[in-house]
Amino acid sequence: MKRWRYLLGKIGWAVFTVLFVLVLNFFLFRVLPGDPARAGIHDPRLKKEAIEAIRVRFGLDKPVINCFESLNPVKFGSCAVNPLDTQFFIYVKNLLQGEMGISYHTNRPVANILAERLWNTILLIGAGQLLAIFIGVIFGVFAAWKARTSIDYGALIVSLLAWSLPTFWLGIILLFWGSNHGLPIGGMQTPGMSSQPFFARAGDVLSHMLLPTLTYTIVYMGEYMLIMRSSLLDVLSEDYVLTAKAKGLNTFQVLKDHALKNAMLPLVTVIAINLGFTMAGAVQIESVFSWPGLGGAIYEAVNRRDFPVLQGAFLLIAVAVIVANLIAELTYAYLDPRVQSE
Amino acid sequence: MTESALVSAPATPSIATRFADFWRVFRRNKMGIVGFVMLLVIVFVAVFAHVIAPYGPSAQHGVGTSDIYNPPSAAHWFGTDDAGQDVFTNFVYGARVSLIVGFFAAFISVFIGGLIGIVAGYYGGRVENVLMRFNDIMLVIPDLPLMVVIVALTKPSLFNIIFVIGLLGWTTTSRIVRSQTLAVKSRKFVLRARAIGAGNRHIIRRHILPLVMPILVVNAVLVVSAAILDESVLSFLGLGDPTALSWGQMLNYAFGRGAMSTGAWWALIVPGFGIVWVVLGLTLFGHGLEQVLNPRLETHHLMRAQPTVRHEATGKPLRPGPRTRLPSEAPIVLQANDLSISYVSDDRPPARAVENVSFYLREGELMGLVGESGCGKTTLALSLLRLLPAAGQVVNGEIWFGDTELTGLTDEEMEQVRWKGISMVFQGAMNALNPVRTVGDQIAEAIVKHDPTMKDAALEARVSELLDLVGISPEHNRHFPHQYSGGMRQRAMIAMALACNPKVIVADEPTTALDVMIQAQVLELLDSLRRKLGLSIIFVTHDLGVVAEMCDSVLVMYGGVTAEYADVDTIYNAARHPYTQELLKAFPDLTHPERRLVSIPGHPPKLDQLPPGCRFAPRCPLAFERCLVEQPAIHQLSDWHYASCHLAEETKQP
Repeated sequence: MKRWRYLLGKIGWAVFTVLFVLVLNFFLFRVLPGDPARAGIHDPRLKKEAIEAIRVRFGLDKPVINCFESLNPVKFGSCAVNPLDTQFFIYVKNLLQGEMGISYHTNRPVANILAERLWNTILLIGAGQLLAIFIGVIFGVFAAWKARTSIDYGALIVSLLAWSLPTFWLGIILLFWGSNHGLPIGGMQTPGMSSQPFFARAGDVLSHMLLPTLTYTIVYMGEYMLIMRSSLLDVLSEDYVLTAKAKGLNTFQVLKDHALKNAMLPLVTVIAINLGFTMAGAVQIESVFSWPGLGGAIYEAVNRRDFPVLQGAFLLIAVAVIVANLIAELTYAYLDPRVQSE
Repeated sequence: MTESALVSAPATPSIATRFADFWRVFRRNKMGIVGFVMLLVIVFVAVFAHVIAPYGPSAQHGVGTSDIYNPPSAAHWFGTDDAGQDVFTNFVYGARVSLIVGFFAAFISVFIGGLIGIVAGYYGGRVENVLMRFNDIMLVIPDLPLMVVIVALTKPSLFNIIFVIGLLGWTTTSRIVRSQTLAVKSRKFVLRARAIGAGNRHIIRRHILPLVMPILVVNAVLVVSAAILDESVLSFLGLGDPTALSWGQMLNYAFGRGAMSTGAWWALIVPGFGIVWVVLGLTLFGHGLEQVLNPRLETHHLMRAQPTVRHEATGKPLRPGPRTRLPSEAPIVLQANDLSISYVSDDRPPARAVENVSFYLREGELMGLVGESGCGKTTLALSLLRLLPAAGQVVNGEIWFGDTELTGLTDEEMEQVRWKGISMVFQGAMNALNPVRTVGDQIAEAIVKHDPTMKDAALEARVSELLDLVGISPEHNRHFPHQYSGGMRQRAMIAMALACNPKVIVADEPTTALDVMIQAQVLELLDSLRRKLGLSIIFVTHDLGVVAEMCDSVLVMYGGVTAEYADVDTIYNAARHPYTQELLKAFPDLTHPERRLVSIPGHPPKLDQLPPGCRFAPRCPLAFERCLVEQPAIHQLSDWHYASCHLAEETKQP
């Protein structure tokens, strides 16, 4: 019973966070000086009818939120405005219908653009993260087990170095090296491959994925290695490890049956916390390698001042991270029998 | 999270001495020194940019296209960039921009984070709840995309960038500061300050802040490196200040203006190298600082053990004598001869934790191993099963278990003896049992290790049988340790210790963590099991009352050596060592309720400051000159009585 309450609490909190991001996103784009909708209206390229259509579509003639002018959003009574008739609620309503606006640059619906790109990012990040976790965990286990030996110090130096490399710069270096050795210099597919059979296409995508994934892995494995090492060191100095040893179990058995599962738990938490940072990495890698994902969408939108896309991409990225974070927390609750309530 | 070593020290020494101490330790930390030097170099470069750079900043040398992307040469050590400017010059001036942005942004972040952390941690309640929830939200929201959005919507000026990075970078700092504040808040001197009515702000300033500082400083270093990375990414994405040529901005121009296609690797490598240098320097420095300010004992139970030093057992082995409560024909199951154990370390001489201790244990005997904290009794107990920490080393003596000499066994052979021949019951800390595995599972594991043929129904039956033996009903075997009460956990540990029908159980203060009623239950259980199963038990404790009730023999240790070793009746009625006598005087006696309790003034010797003579001499009421210079030998006073005291020498048996 307690666990259900815990789970519901976590889910509720995630929903609240999404709402917070929604509100934040809305205000960032409407309130900050570079307000896109209003800026769009002054774009001389637009025809009168288009300007009018935008005005109606986004409710630009309506108040931003209830009583915005007096900065008192909750005063329903003395404002002669129906709260549902404000820009904010129009925005929320549009979102719920999957409407995210129209890209300034391509005139296509933002939602469509981003939907395509979401999966590309998930593919790249998914592969990179899995590899980073896998390698990081292995290195970390060895480093902790052989703590204070040269294996440990070597792994530590490598990890700290990897951690200090700016993601985009490592991408540039690898791209530079790769392009001189026949690897593709960007994008996800070689033009003209879409008509080829599945395996040829898959192979092509993989060759394009190689360098960005490698960049991703190198940058993040360092951190996971450090976390795993410190977590395993903590675990290996716990009393129950001594008990296990006293029972006559050999080193391998103790590691396998007592230490690893316990040491992995903090790693799950770290992976959850890290998801926001992995998005930072995604933005950088996708921009360097021209990978058509959400991060790349942000980069292009910034360069072209395509605010609807920027706003939509940010929202989508934030929501993705919140959801993934929730999944990680629920996984932790499942794995750790001590979790009862907040 | 463990508290910093500095937290436990009172904040009274002067700033100068504290810094001198810190520097002494820090100097030996290679990682920290390397990082520090790296930082000094780059700060020097930034400060003296105008001296080091061969050209003026943004100097245009030749406006023609022939100057663009020239490879390194004598005139341009690192070539030219996309505008024909000298890369080295821009690199050197760019250091200023990157460092300034990094430091100022980090300052804002650390300030905000520290403030939020301290306020949340100190005031607690609603305030803390709200602040930490807000913190969680900001933690989850991805930083860089948010920064990108905000800077894209506002002006990409340097000031703006510093502000944005600073305003978004406090989330990790506040968490860490809050944890530390919580830890410090409940320390005695803070409680005392509050009790005498000191104001909150005063307490925060004088007591909490100094102890939060070390962790804050370490975190600040890492925040600076994060800020520098953030600025370089923002600049690279095209959101940098176009008037300030930071390293990230240089990379933005190079990448966006064809450095790759023209093969101008120098325009790409050099600025990036600068970023790596600074960030790596900061990271190494930060880690070094952390190791000094927050030292973790990086040792664990699976580290390679020290080799046993094999010597011939010096001195006379004990001649086993009779015990009043045991049949004297009972065979000896465990015997230690002249056991000496030290803790070795790289920078100090070995600490002699146990020196020349001997005892023997008959079948069915319960020996009490008594002494103050730090006297070596736990070290002795652990050494029997070769469970010493990585720094522990047996430097002398033998341990005989039946016909087998334990110190000479290989690791694999020792694994066979563990639990099956000799098992242990550890102090009832919460973590003596693995918290993520069921209790039944852990007991079964012990059984299966030494008898792989046991499985399924037979195994489960045996586990239930063991739990029943200690009074735990079998449905609990599917529960986790945190679902057991303290007394139940201890009984479960005893059940586990019996799993392979050992001959000897070593119980290391099994009841110390329990309350008195439960203590009595557990002791009674141990005693009855001993009688029922013919076990021998070594009972490590500092409670003489328990010893009197249950034990057959007593080994009193002090400062690592045997003070007195005798039959229990002898110890209680005819103790010869002054330490034993003082110990007895310190314990209440129901038959003489009016007798005053006498405590022994002073404290036991530190292992690295052992006195030259008898180790008890500084505190001994009967000490004389010889005691201070010569360590007494262990004199045999009768068949079953040994004491290491000069005063016992006259009446010893030959």
